[in-house]
Amino acid sequence: MRVSGRDGQDVLRRVGEASVLILISLADGPKHGYALIQDIKELAEVELGPGTLYGALDRLERLDLIESLPADDRRHPYRITAPGAAALRVHLDSLERVSAAGRLRLRLGGI
Amino acid sequence: MNDPRAARLVERALRCYPARWRRRHGDEAAELAALLIRDGASAGSIALSYLTGAAREWLTPRPGGRLAAAACALLVAVCSLGISAVLLAPPAPARAAITSTRGAAAGASHGRGHARCGPGSSDPVPGLIRAMGQLPRSVWEIEHVRAC
Repeated sequence: MRVSGRDGQDVLRRVGEASVLILISLADGPKHGYALIQDIKELAEVELGPGTLYGALDRLERLDLIESLPADDRRHPYRITAPGAAALRVHLDSLERVSAAGRLRLRLGGI
Repeated sequence: MNDPRAARLVERALRCYPARWRRRHGDEAAELAALLIRDGASAGSIALSYLTGAAREWLTPRPGGRLAAAACALLVAVCSLGISAVLLAPPAPARAAITSTRGAAAGASHGRGHARCGPGSSDPVPGLIRAMGQLPRSVWEIEHVRAC
């Protein structure tokens, strides 16, 4: 399945939080499973279970948003692809808009 | 993994994944579990995470699995038709009982009357049970005691 975020569609809306966190973690360079778990723990204070991690990695790879690099010993590093980076950008923009609207409404509501 | 029990637990959980997944990620997943356990994660929670992942892996439809899905759908359709046909058609014992009781209905002795009782042959047996033939024999026997 080929999905592209270039047409402005937020394709990450339905992939789940774990997948988005993985893409964010891979945005600054390739990582393997253990490094991803550690990075996401630091970045978002979310502890990804290994089963969740591999499920999300497979899903992102099927969507061509990440790609697996040649194995380093037994570990497969993963790298974000160009469509993956575009999709992440669209998703983060969308989150920013929602976040700004939420803050504005809280201010207007005086809460 | 230093603790053999933890290693066994994780290994069992990993065995629940499909073979193609194990070929691709199996070694790395075992090593990742060992590193996480070394960092203080419990083997149980890691095994549980892998078990959940395995269930999801089995349930996620694959692009290459379309033919298998079509075959399964066809099989289910054939089975449904078969069950419907069985439910609609009267079973053999019921047909036999109907033909034998027509001839021997009047003046039958108690023993002979008893003999013609059977699954699907007497009124207390509901239509659905009659259609299913041999299966609800115990239900029929209860009804039989009440009726005969």
